[in-house]
Amino acid sequence: MKDTQPGRSALELIWSFFASVKLSFFLFLTLAVASIFGTLIPQREHLHVYTKAYGETGARIIQALSLDDMYHSYWFLLLLTLLAVNLVICSLNRLPLALKVIRKDPAAEAKRVRKAWRSFTVDGGVQDNQDRLARELGRVVGKVHRAEVDGGVNLFAQRGAWSRLGVYLVHASVLIIFIGAIVGNLWGFDGRVFITEGQTVDHILIQRGKKLPLGFGVRLDKFTITYYKGSRMPSEYISDLVFINHGKEVKKWRLKVNHPVDFKGIDFYQSSYDQQLKSVKVLLTRKGQEPQEVQLYFQRWSKLPGGGEAGVQDFRPQVDMGGMYRGAVARILYRSPGKQPVALTAFEPGARMASRGEVTFQLKGWDMVSRTGLSVKYDPGVWFVWIGCILMTLGFLVTFYTSHRKVWLRLTPAGKGRTRVEIAGSANRNRVGLQRAMERLEQSIRNQKGKAE
Amino acid sequence: MAELSNQLITYVTFAYMAAAVLYLIAAVSGARRIALVGSGLTWLILAVHTTAIILRWVGSYEMGVGHAPFSNLFESLVFFGWTLVLIYLILELRTRMYVVGAYALPLVFATMLYALAQDASIRPLMPALKSNWLIAHVIACFLGYAGFGISAALSLLYLLTGQGRQPSSPRANALDNFIYQTVAIGFIMLTAGIITGAVWANSAWGTYWSWDPKETWSLITWFVYAAMLHSRYMRGWQGTRLAVFSLAGFVCVLFTYFGVNLLLSGLHSYAS
Ligand code: HEM
Repeated sequence: MKDTQPGRSALELIWSFFASVKLSFFLFLTLAVASIFGTLIPQREHLHVYTKAYGETGARIIQALSLDDMYHSYWFLLLLTLLAVNLVICSLNRLPLALKVIRKDPAAEAKRVRKAWRSFTVDGGVQDNQDRLARELGRVVGKVHRAEVDGGVNLFAQRGAWSRLGVYLVHASVLIIFIGAIVGNLWGFDGRVFITEGQTVDHILIQRGKKLPLGFGVRLDKFTITYYKGSRMPSEYISDLVFINHGKEVKKWRLKVNHPVDFKGIDFYQSSYDQQLKSVKVLLTRKGQEPQEVQLYFQRWSKLPGGGEAGVQDFRPQVDMGGMYRGAVARILYRSPGKQPVALTAFEPGARMASRGEVTFQLKGWDMVSRTGLSVKYDPGVWFVWIGCILMTLGFLVTFYTSHRKVWLRLTPAGKGRTRVEIAGSANRNRVGLQRAMERLEQSIRNQKGKAE
Repeated sequence: MAELSNQLITYVTFAYMAAAVLYLIAAVSGARRIALVGSGLTWLILAVHTTAIILRWVGSYEMGVGHAPFSNLFESLVFFGWTLVLIYLILELRTRMYVVGAYALPLVFATMLYALAQDASIRPLMPALKSNWLIAHVIACFLGYAGFGISAALSLLYLLTGQGRQPSSPRANALDNFIYQTVAIGFIMLTAGIITGAVWANSAWGTYWSWDPKETWSLITWFVYAAMLHSRYMRGWQGTRLAVFSLAGFVCVLFTYFGVNLLLSGLHSYAS
């Protein structure tokens, strides 16, 4: 914000550009306005969603500006990076100055003669008064330094010089949070896994369906939903999990929403659930033979009596085919020894579309099983974020509620055995607080005199 | 108990109207005594208001669905009204500037009136909302909103009484300072609100930040007030501009609070 003078090098100009509060002011408002777009335009949708809502051209503009995933776009990250650079350079620029102010020798400060905020006289000479006034100043402000200047005595005290560092704490905390977010993005992962009751999984799905091995097993023993009394509103979703390391059950945990569990640094969150088919009961009929009841399992082969294997590939508990059929449908894969599997459809009894062939299946019943959906996270950056948040809060309290106050009392002879007292003060913020302190000081200096008389 | 609470809230709302009228009369006539009566009345109503909130809290446990009374729009508005009054009275205690009440109390009354128009029944909480972090989150956010709200009231006072014409008069300076200080309170509390919200989101879903519209709007509000705090360090941004800034910030607060739910969900609904 200094004026640009001729003769300054390009580097200096760039430096002062990045050190300026005007830039941060501009960046804050730009980030605010830019962020609005991301809340108006749906994020991370398919192209056709945008075409439908905004037309071809609109969709193309949205894609060109990455407005469909704005907060991860290069230009948005660039704005954040600029803010970080601004922050670092501005702080580097000012910190030495702040340290100089903090470390300023109080003895030298005591020698300064400042313009008085208030001036009055009290009984007694300078020598009679100075100890008492020093006591009062010490009580109201802090440690007192004396100096004799131009035939008078100066008393100086200050308080909260270190509070000037509060702003730097806030600014550093922002950087720590940024670092946490970057670390989390680079080295963390974010996945999901579904586990049916009784099943053990040893890997999860991360972005784009990629599988990530966990290095240990997680088994779901039971999934439970509890309800509020006399209501259909769920009160808890609970997964009873067992963590298995090298074949040993190491940890049992009742996982609930809002209470994640940590195993080997990886966090598991209860996030969803559904019902999955476990098995179906079907009537197996081979050409020219008596039907037999058999049990088939979901996505698993079972041997059939009389040879061959079968398993359920897909199952719908309710299918509506108009007048033709209404009911459950199972898609069954069947393979006879040495042949390719064939897909057959099994309907419930009474279907008017009987399946024909070498073997047929009729659906007699089915068993569902609960399946829990867990989010699985690993975020090595999250502690940076929390530490940054704590420091930011502390930094705010320091910046907003403490200040660097300096108060001077100057005592000069006023003739007739009286002393002139001048009060002066300065503060880097909260001038109202400073005024109050000086008023209190004035009161106590005058009052005590009054009592003594 | 919940019924008694609702009854009290109705009384409280209209009592605030009475207080607002007293403050307005005092502001227009300059009669300090009337302002003092308004102030006494407001303290009294705050006590009843507090009681009503506690009764609702206890009542929800009696119904077997116990939770802190911050879970739906009705409850949040009642609490927002409460935080507004609290912050205002603290300011009044410290500054003795009763004329601010003529701007703050109508805001409180409007909030409470809007609350009365909402569904006041106590509903059980879905599991994701059962978290102590959520309680801290709501309290912090609403204290923040209230700080900004009172700051906006002060800004209106600044603008409507033409302080901008003599920006270095003691009164204009004092108002400028109070606008800044209430924004500082708001900023700290909003930050605390965003942080506790992040902690809660992290324990519920494992992400402390997911750019959902509500989160993003609270961040937008935060950016606007951050800009305002830094504008102090640029020449010429005190006085009228600071007051306008504070009002603009409060518009963002209102949008974060109401607009996101009312407007953005509608915009998004076709996508789902
Ligand atoms: C998200 C980022 C930031 C936050 C949360 C933040 C926060 C703060 C706060 C709370 C204050 C004290 C305000 C006051 O005294 O009223 C402050 C002061 C300041 N900030 Fe920032 N700030 C941020 C970014 C920046 C940036 C990018 C710059 C770059 C120029 C900057 C420059 C300053 C300066 C020069 C001060 C005054 C310091 C002083 O009193 O000597 N801030 N900041």
